Formats: sequence, C-alpha cells, structure tokens
Amino acid sequence: MARSLLGNPVNRVDGPVKVTGQARYAADNNPPDLCHGYLLTSTIANGMVLSMDLGAAEQSGGVIAIYTPDNRLPLHGEPPFLPNVLGERRRPLSDHEVRYHGQIIGVVVADTFEQARDAAALIRVAYRELPPNSSFEENLDRGEQPPFVGLPLGVPVDIGVASIDDALAASQVTQATTYRHPPRHHNAMEPHSAVAVWKGDELTIYSGTQGPAAHAEELAVALAVDKTKVHVVSPHVGGGFGGKAFTWAPTLLAAAAARSLGRPVKIVTTREQLYTVTGHRSAVVQTMTLGAREDGTLNAIKHHSFTEALVEDPGVRTTLSFYATPNLQLRLLCPPGMNLPTPTILRAPGDETGSFALECAMDELAIRLQMDPIDLRLKNYLRTSLQTGLPYSSKHLDECYRVGAARFGWSRRRAAPRSVSDGDWLVGMGMASAVLAAGRAATTVRVLFRADGTAAVATATADLGTGMWTILAMMGAESLGIPVDRIRPSIGDSRLPVGPGSAPYGAIGSAATATVMPAVRDAADNAIAALIQHGVTHRRSPLRGLSVEQVRYRDGKLSGGGTTIGFGELLTTTRTREHGATTTNEVKESTEYVFGSYAAHFCEVRVNRFTGEALLSRMTTVVDAGTILNEKTARNQITGGVIFGIGPALFEGGHVEASTGRIDNANLADYLIPVNTDVPDIDVVFLDHPDPNVSPVGARGLGELGTIGSAAAVVNAVCNATGKRIRDLPITPDKLFE
Amino acid sequence: MRAFTFDTPATVADAVAQAGDGSAYLAGGTTLVDLMKLDAMTPTRVLDINRLPMRGIRLEGARLSVGALERMSDVADHPMVRARYPVVAEALLRSASPQVRNMASIGGNLLQRTRCGYFRDPDTPCNKRAPGTGCPARDGHNRAHAILGTSNDCVATHPSDLAVALVALDASVLLRNRTGERIVRLDDIYRLPENTPHLENQLHPGELLTEVSIPALDWARRSTYVKVRDRQSYEFALTSAAVALDVRGGMIRNARVAAGGVGTKPWRLPAVERALTGRPMRLDTFESAVAHAADGARPLAHNRFKPALLRRTIVRALTGLED
Repeated sequence: MARSLLGNPVNRVDGPVKVTGQARYAADNNPPDLCHGYLLTSTIANGMVLSMDLGAAEQSGGVIAIYTPDNRLPLHGEPPFLPNVLGERRRPLSDHEVRYHGQIIGVVVADTFEQARDAAALIRVAYRELPPNSSFEENLDRGEQPPFVGLPLGVPVDIGVASIDDALAASQVTQATTYRHPPRHHNAMEPHSAVAVWKGDELTIYSGTQGPAAHAEELAVALAVDKTKVHVVSPHVGGGFGGKAFTWAPTLLAAAAARSLGRPVKIVTTREQLYTVTGHRSAVVQTMTLGAREDGTLNAIKHHSFTEALVEDPGVRTTLSFYATPNLQLRLLCPPGMNLPTPTILRAPGDETGSFALECAMDELAIRLQMDPIDLRLKNYLRTSLQTGLPYSSKHLDECYRVGAARFGWSRRRAAPRSVSDGDWLVGMGMASAVLAAGRAATTVRVLFRADGTAAVATATADLGTGMWTILAMMGAESLGIPVDRIRPSIGDSRLPVGPGSAPYGAIGSAATATVMPAVRDAADNAIAALIQHGVTHRRSPLRGLSVEQVRYRDGKLSGGGTTIGFGELLTTTRTREHGATTTNEVKESTEYVFGSYAAHFCEVRVNRFTGEALLSRMTTVVDAGTILNEKTARNQITGGVIFGIGPALFEGGHVEASTGRIDNANLADYLIPVNTDVPDIDVVFLDHPDPNVSPVGARGLGELGTIGSAAAVVNAVCNATGKRIRDLPITPDKLFE
Repeated sequence: MRAFTFDTPATVADAVAQAGDGSAYLAGGTTLVDLMKLDAMTPTRVLDINRLPMRGIRLEGARLSVGALERMSDVADHPMVRARYPVVAEALLRSASPQVRNMASIGGNLLQRTRCGYFRDPDTPCNKRAPGTGCPARDGHNRAHAILGTSNDCVATHPSDLAVALVALDASVLLRNRTGERIVRLDDIYRLPENTPHLENQLHPGELLTEVSIPALDWARRSTYVKVRDRQSYEFALTSAAVALDVRGGMIRNARVAAGGVGTKPWRLPAVERALTGRPMRLDTFESAVAHAADGARPLAHNRFKPALLRRTIVRALTGLED
C-alpha cells in the first residue's frame, strides 16, 4: 500500500483547497483593524528627493499615515544573507537619494487599499535630477572583476594551459559568438504581499516566501528584534522563481508600519512596482569562444559574461558542468553602480543564461563541422568534474539524447536549413542539453504520532506550487507505512523545525526534494524508535515491560509479546496527545562523486515564410534526475520549466529606457510571457534511474532543469528552419521575416 | 482613480442628455476602467449604458446592423457575420483574450484608446493625455508605434483590429446626440493626430455611438484578417491586414485592403486595391500591388521593420484567399 506511492502519480494534497479558493495566500489575511499601505515610487532614476508635497494626500479620505525619507520607518542593519549579492542592501526610505527609477520613496497607509493608492497619486515630489546611468549597452566597456563574496560567483576559472588564447589559436577550428538577452522579471502570479500583526513585541507576518526561517531572520535584523519574536506564516506561495527567496522592502515596510501604528498593516505590491522594488534577472552579454579539432573534440572554451551586477554566474554555474575540455577560461565582469533596480536570482540562476549561450554555440559548431548536434555533444561527454576530477554519479545524459531522439523523430531532421516546409511554414528541429548541479543539504524534520491515528510531518520549507506538500505527505506515508491521508504535513511556517546551514533558505536551488525526503525517512525512523520507547515504558501501555528489541513497528502498528496495537490506540490508552521525534540528519559532502541532474530538449518550430512568426509545434524533454518521487508533480515542474525557457526565447524582456531608466513594459500586457496558444505539446519522459550515491532515496533535484537549455533548443530549431542564427533574444518576427 | 459621479441612464435620450465634457460612457469597461485605475483617464461622470437598447445583430435591407453594445465574442460567433464577413469574425477572434471579448462591446472596441505606454503612464508626458506636454514615444520605446499618419506630436497606433476590418468593408456608424442622430462612415470618424492628438475622432462631446452598419458586399465572403504579433494571443498587432477580393475566372475584379498596427487610425489602402483590380490572382500580382503599401511611412528607431512587414502581411493575407 503506502510503499507503492513513491514514483507514482499522486494528486496534490493541497489541490482541493487551491481549486476551491480556500488556500490562504498572504494577502488573503484580513485581521481585525487592518489598514493598507501603498508604495510610492520614484519617477526619476538618479538624483535626490528635494521635497514632497503631502498636503492633498493627507487630506484625502481614510489616510492614516504617510512615511517618507523625512518621516522614516525605523529599519535597522543590513540584510544578513549576502547583502551585496542577493537582495537590496539599502533599507527603504533611509535617505533622500534616488538610485533607480521606481525606487520606494514613500508609503501611504489608509483604511482601504484604494484610499491609500489614490492618496499616493496626490503626492507631488520635487527632485534634483541627474542624468541616469541606465544604459546596459553604454556600460559594456566598464566591466570590472567583482569582489569575492564567499561563493564561487564571478571568481575567475582557468583550467589547462596558461593562455587560453594560445589554446584557441592551436585549435583546428575556432568559433567566437556573442549572445545577448534583456533583463528578465520573475512575474510570479502572486505579487509580493505582507500582512503584519504585532502583539506586544512579537510579530506575526503573513508573507509569501521560499524560506520562512530565513525570512523571519531577515525581518528580525531589520526590526532589531530577536528572531524568536518573528513568526512567518506562508503556507501557500503563488510562485517564487527566486524572487521570494530573499526579503524585499514591501514586507519590511509592512512590519515597520504596523509596529509604528499599533495596528495590522497589509502591503500588496502592484504588478508594475514588482518590476522595480523586487529583484529581476540582469541583462547578460556572453561571448563564447570554442576551439575544437575537425572531429569535434573540444580543445578550449573561453566564456566571458557581462551582467548588471554580481548575482548569477553563467560561466561557473554552467560551463564547468557541461563538456569535457582540457582548457577553459571563465570570466564574469560587472560595471560599478548602474541606475537600475536591484537584480536577484531567478529560476536556474546562471544556468539558464549560460546554457543559452553554450548550447547555441555547440549547435553552431556542429553546423560548421557538419556534425549531428547530438554526436558533437557525445564526442565531448563529460564524465568527471573539470575541477576535482571526481566522477559524475549515475549520469545518463547519453540515454536522454538517445531516448529523446527516438521519441521525437530526430532522424527526420534535415541538416540544411529551409529543407522542410508545411505550406507557408518553414519547419525546423533543434535540440539542447541541460545540466543542473544537484545539491542536497542537511535539514530538520519533526515526525509526531498522534492519538487520533494521524502522523504530523513538519519542516520549515515551502511549496511554491512545486508539490512539496504532496511529496512530504507521500514520503511520510512511505516511511511510516500508513496511508497518505493519515499524514498531516506542515510547511511554510518559521516556527516549524528548521535545519542548519542553508536549510533556512527553504525551497531554493531545486534542492528541496533531495534535501527533505531523506530527512523525513531519518526522522520517521527516530519517531518510531521514540514510539517504541514510549510503548515499553508508559505505565498505561499494554506493551509496558517489554524490551525495545521485543517490539516491532510495522504499518502503523506496534507488535510485541503477543500484543498488536495501532499507534493511535496506544497514544489514546496512554493519554498522550502526540509523541515522536525531531531529527536533524547529516549530509556529508561526497568525496567520491559529483552530482548533477540532466535533460535533453528537442524542439520543432514552424516559421512563417512571409511574416516570420515562430510557432512551436512540439517539444520533447527527457529527464535523468534519479528517483522520481511523484510523477505528476515532477512532470508539472518540467513542463513549467520548459515553458519558463520558451518565454525568454520568444517573448520576454524588460525594456529599460536608457535616457530615463524607466521600464517601459512593467505590466503583464506589455511584458510578454507565453500564453496557452504559444505553448506546444510538451512530451516529458523520466528515465527514473535511482542514484544510490546521492541519498538512500535516490532523488536528485529537477525543478530548474526544464528551464536550462530549453531556450537554446528553440533558437537551434529556428536556425534549422530558416538558416537564421538569432543570438539576441527574444526571437521576434522582425528578426526572421527578411 | 479619481472620484466621479455614476449614473445609469434608462434611455439613449437620457444618456446623451446627461453626457458632455468630462463624462465617459461605460460599456464593457475593459478599456475605461483600466485607464481610470491608472489615472490616465479621469472622467468626472461615468454613465453606465449597458441597459440601453443598443443590441441585436440583424439584416436591415442588405446591410448588416450590429448594436453597439453587442459583445465582441457574440459578434465573432454570429452565423451571419461568419458567413458574410469572415474578415470581421477573424479580426474579432484575433483580438484581446476570450475573457476580454466576453465583456468588451463593439462600440467600445471602435473607440478604444491607444495602447501607447506613455499615454497609459501619467508620470510621463503625453500630448494625447495632457496636451502640450510632449511625446516621449518618438525617442523612447516605439516598437509598437505607428509609421503612417503620425505627426511630431503623436505616433500612437490605433489599436482596434475590428476597425481595420470594418474600414475595409466601408462600414458606417450611427451617432446619437441631443439634437438627433447622424450616420458617418467609420473611416471618417477617426482623426489624424496632427497637432491635436487628444482629439481622436469626430464625435461631439456626449455623442453616443449606438450602431454599426456594414454594407452588403457579396464577395466579402472571400475575405480574411491576418494579424502579425509578438505572441499568438492577447497581444496587439505589429502589422495586420484586412483583405477581401472579388475573383472571377482567376481575375481580381475588385479588392478591399486595409492595414492595422501601422497607422494612427485604421489604414485603408486604396492604391493597393487599384493595383490588384483587373490583375490575375497570382503571387506576383500581390507582390507588385503591395510595393507602395507603406509609401509615406515614417518609421521610428524600434519599428523600422514595419514597412516591409506590412507588405508581407498583405501578401500573406491575399495568398490566403486563393482557392
């Protein structure tokens, strides 16, 4: 029964509450006496706020308070986690300086959202305006090596001979190409929202987050309270994509305003504000130089990237883990201080960007060498880490290519562009690989047997729509041998058990499943041991007096000395509400293997020969991510990830006006993301080879895998259809029709 | 959003009596409410006209009459529209999203405001929204902007697909005002921006568009609407073409061609129509006929592709009418 759950398609346990509207997202909380904050943002990108005329706004209906740089909300310190890298270092309203267009310069609090919004529109701001440094293109020659931040981000990598240029010059074939993509925005369905409620010196805050414990810690620092005083409640998150990994100003301001006013405050960021007051992915320019022998064997890779600021590293995160090469040089350069909103991580940080460049470059090299793109990749198949020499554990990317090619019909591809058409549509096929470094961390899980016959499984991670609620219940059921409907999972709350190290970050780096699932198994074992101990020692227990060795736990029941009793009955008999254990598991860094998850994407595109629209007709993605715990939620993750890659390939990009720093398309009508009509049938296949080296569960992460490489598969298919190599995303009709 | 008074007039006469400077009619609300929330439109009085008897799709003589309050989705699905004027049904189905089409009225569609981002953002200058403040679109992001009929003061594109189809069909509209009613060709309703881009049409303050009338055109059964855009739904046209051809014995006897996504108003192309007329129904006819389709265009930094894309869009539409 229960054991057969893993690996099977199981419906989401949180599905019914979501489709019936009962799932409570942060902004759905309306405590008594609630008032509403609305953010006022700057209309210049560089300069100073000289004065703010609040007169009309203060007289406007329902207005309770207006906070500005002259009437600040106290916020302290700086973000505890990599403040220069992942979030906004400066506290909102802390000075009069304006550093980017759309920066928060005020908060209006009123009885209703509409009153606050309308009052904010009445505030007149006088600025001292300076010319903004907002043009990405104009900064390309101002790149500097970023400082070391304690992570392998932006750290130069050199492998092989001293001079990469010598290695390239010595190669039979060299190819240098440059790839660009514009800024990208997370655009989670749920905007950043927070409802802050103080009782004395304790804060309860409803705020969507990927890591409730880290969120609480960030709030505690900003509010100068002990972190035990901050209770983050975030059971459901309407999409995170990295944008809710760290704490942004709207949440801090809600908490500070609620403390200042002595009543609950809700702040819901508008869609337009999300583009500037929460993070985004930087625009990136990458130059990829490949040196190879005529037979396709790579001799050298030189990958140079340029981004707005140090956050993601396409080189290190990607190029180190794709192909074997004796010589490699990776560089990341960033300009100092542009007048742009703060970048942050975005789904598949580094990897999405880097795989776009690398997998397009490999396709270009294959065309140049007249090789099949799959053969070129197999020729350079990476079996051991370029840096440590350790072997990759359970890597079946070659099988992904083989299975994918067969399912997709890759053999029907014609190497020469414009060879296949369907009416007025040119048809092309392309492929690309995906490699995701598969992390796993230690964490803490609490498993409690309850007198009502259910078992509670709890840990402070999050479900971003990813399926964590469901696989936590499944893993609990599997580990305890009881049906999934007797498991009560708990996540999304900072008061739940939280692990050491990176565990407070919660759902991040596609590692939540690989991290949590083995920990559930360990925690269940300890809870069972505690239950047996309880059974043999409690004075009311029918098992009292037996030794622990004489008692067996199986499928929810304890047996020993001729007695069998369900745990619910046992706890009822002993008048114990719940009993179990909280366990922090240990994860040792492997000294024998490196871990990755892998996929091969195949894409078929149709391009109109008159007008150049590129329509995707079908895609196939074959995934090797170890054990697949829930085929349904895993498929949903990969499908969503592939669509997340189609977005930048064909549609997405923030338009920053160089002269003003204003984002011209900061809304969902003008910032294009794929709609259903744009998304083809996506055939997802899981190889399902358990990886015994990563954990006893055998599961590696896969959340970001669908996004890695999928844009390159689209670009490569378009090139096969039309003969046009687009190196500047997105691929819009005007780039193809002529 | 600013405070406004809200009324629901019971009759058309009542509505036009109450309307005037600073008032706005509310039908589907898919444009007006958006723009009010953005503070880009600030009417002092909103008149909900949804109860007025401006419905119905019926033949009046040989003409097809469509009430201005008919919803886009209902008109697109109507058997007479689909059979007699496929170009109209297709233009509607390629507009907006199903949800918007279920709400948006035909009258509102024809009089909708531009999608220019500067018009919609009150924190930026815009001659159309705030006369005399300037036009940042000329040097800003102008990929979606017009290349035909533009002026130094405004380059905003007319956003309606339906209007392009109706202009090609020579449709007219019925306007009601306090003193009576008048019929105006739709093509004549729209004004070029020149130096008064805030005046978009010939409607007098408070005048109400109550009905659309499409003339009989037997050969419009051979008509189509091609829309080229950056994604396949819920997106405005980069370029579009409404075409209808009267073809007998392989020869084009008559043609209607209008373009969208390129003009400050729906852009009828009589020169292309003439160049098609009397010529064989062949690709080379189409290609030579569109050679001058974008004459007079004034492309901007981000839409230099539009003249060529327009010509190709029309050719593609015409090839779609081959047997």
